[in-house]
Amino acid sequence: MSPAPAPKVSRERAFPLIWIVPMIAVAIGLWMGYRELRDRGPEITIDFEDGTGIETGKTVLEYKGVSAGTVQYVELKHDLSGVTVRVRLKKKAAALASADSKFWIVHPEIGFSGVHGLETLVTGVHLTVLPGKGAPAKRFKGLDKTPAPDVVDEGRSFILQSDRLGSLTTGAPVFYRELKVGSVEASRLSDDSTSVLVRVHIEAPYVGLVRTSSKFWNTGGFSFKVNLFGAQMKDTSLESLITGGVAFATPDTLPLAPAAEDGAQFGLAPEADKEWMKWAPKIPVKSPESVVEKAKGGGILPSLIKS
Amino acid sequence: MSRRLFTLSFRGRSASAALAVAAAVMLVPANLLPVLDTDSSGSLRSDTIFSGAVELWRHGLGAIAVIVFTASIVIPILKLAGLAWLLLSVRNGAPDNPRRMTRVYSAIEFIGRWSMLDVFLAAFLTGLVQFGGLSTVVARGGIVAFACAVVLTVLATQAFDPRTLWEGRPAALPLPSP
Repeated sequence: MSPAPAPKVSRERAFPLIWIVPMIAVAIGLWMGYRELRDRGPEITIDFEDGTGIETGKTVLEYKGVSAGTVQYVELKHDLSGVTVRVRLKKKAAALASADSKFWIVHPEIGFSGVHGLETLVTGVHLTVLPGKGAPAKRFKGLDKTPAPDVVDEGRSFILQSDRLGSLTTGAPVFYRELKVGSVEASRLSDDSTSVLVRVHIEAPYVGLVRTSSKFWNTGGFSFKVNLFGAQMKDTSLESLITGGVAFATPDTLPLAPAAEDGAQFGLAPEADKEWMKWAPKIPVKSPESVVEKAKGGGILPSLIKS
Repeated sequence: MSRRLFTLSFRGRSASAALAVAAAVMLVPANLLPVLDTDSSGSLRSDTIFSGAVELWRHGLGAIAVIVFTASIVIPILKLAGLAWLLLSVRNGAPDNPRRMTRVYSAIEFIGRWSMLDVFLAAFLTGLVQFGGLSTVVARGGIVAFACAVVLTVLATQAFDPRTLWEGRPAALPLPSP
């Protein structure tokens, strides 16, 4: 048995294998950095009059109930006229930064119109946004308060003129055939203080019900009349008895009057005329219920109506 | 028939240098990326090591902030700097003052075992603080990078043979009396 041939020793490698380790480290580091940057969206700046509760790194911008970005920085402006908030958006939320987007701070609110932002009692305030459709923008002017609901949906607002407010509070319902189709948004004294102006908002599916000839009356309060022919009590719902309320009817004379424009003004009668109650114009509406009905292919509602 | 033999040695100057470079590389994401996401009652925040130390300081926990800052930022960098010094000093044969360099080496080796403070902290927090909607802590990529950096530094220290500091020295040097 011959001895094994002498091993051929090549010179030391110029590039030892161990240097693979730092190369892997570089690759991993780059990958981690890339992953971190991948989810980053643009940074936007919002100016607010008041920044109560906003905290750097904690306050989030929420849209549809989920986080769309985080406040990176909040600082007083140099002239003390407000605060500047910088928000880093998530990549998928980048479309929220379009020119006519509206940003506001959500505080807990408890009112007749309902309870909003209650979770912010525990979590602290958060920002929210109503996305616009314009070109991408970097700088925004934040709203001071939650925008009126007419911004949130496509309904219309009308002004009612009345002698007295008659227990109408913000959020009080607006009825059509005793079905709630809107709510009272705000009320104020007219400029010459001879009457009260009440702004009501009619939800998007029902805006077609309001025609230029429509009549509005106050269903709130409680009235009781006794006369020769007997006693008569105002016919009203319990809800409007407490919070006040407005109802309206549209005359069924053909052809129907044109649909009222946004901001149109109407008188507010203290009580309904008997004749108004008989009006039954045929106006197609797309009520949210009817959409559900169609999707289900005829649910409870049609069967109720048939029986 | 002959086979070529490869060696992937984790010993020696070259290995030590390679591992130290890898550790230095991992320190970058470890310090720049968030290490922990804390979600307490709905408000989410994401902290890097440095912002965590700043937050502790702002909450009046100055001592803990200093510990975190020292253990997680200063010491890892000092260790790598020390290692780089050692490796550079033996590049052209043994250094002029092997005794001092040996002390540097033992200091680095001693401190290595105390470097995982952050990793333990993150591991404990993510394990303990899981109260669903009330409070949740999630470990993020930064802590993995940090752990890698620490492990690589320890390996780099192990790969360095302190005897190279004394190579070629005449044995006649007076030994320290026991």
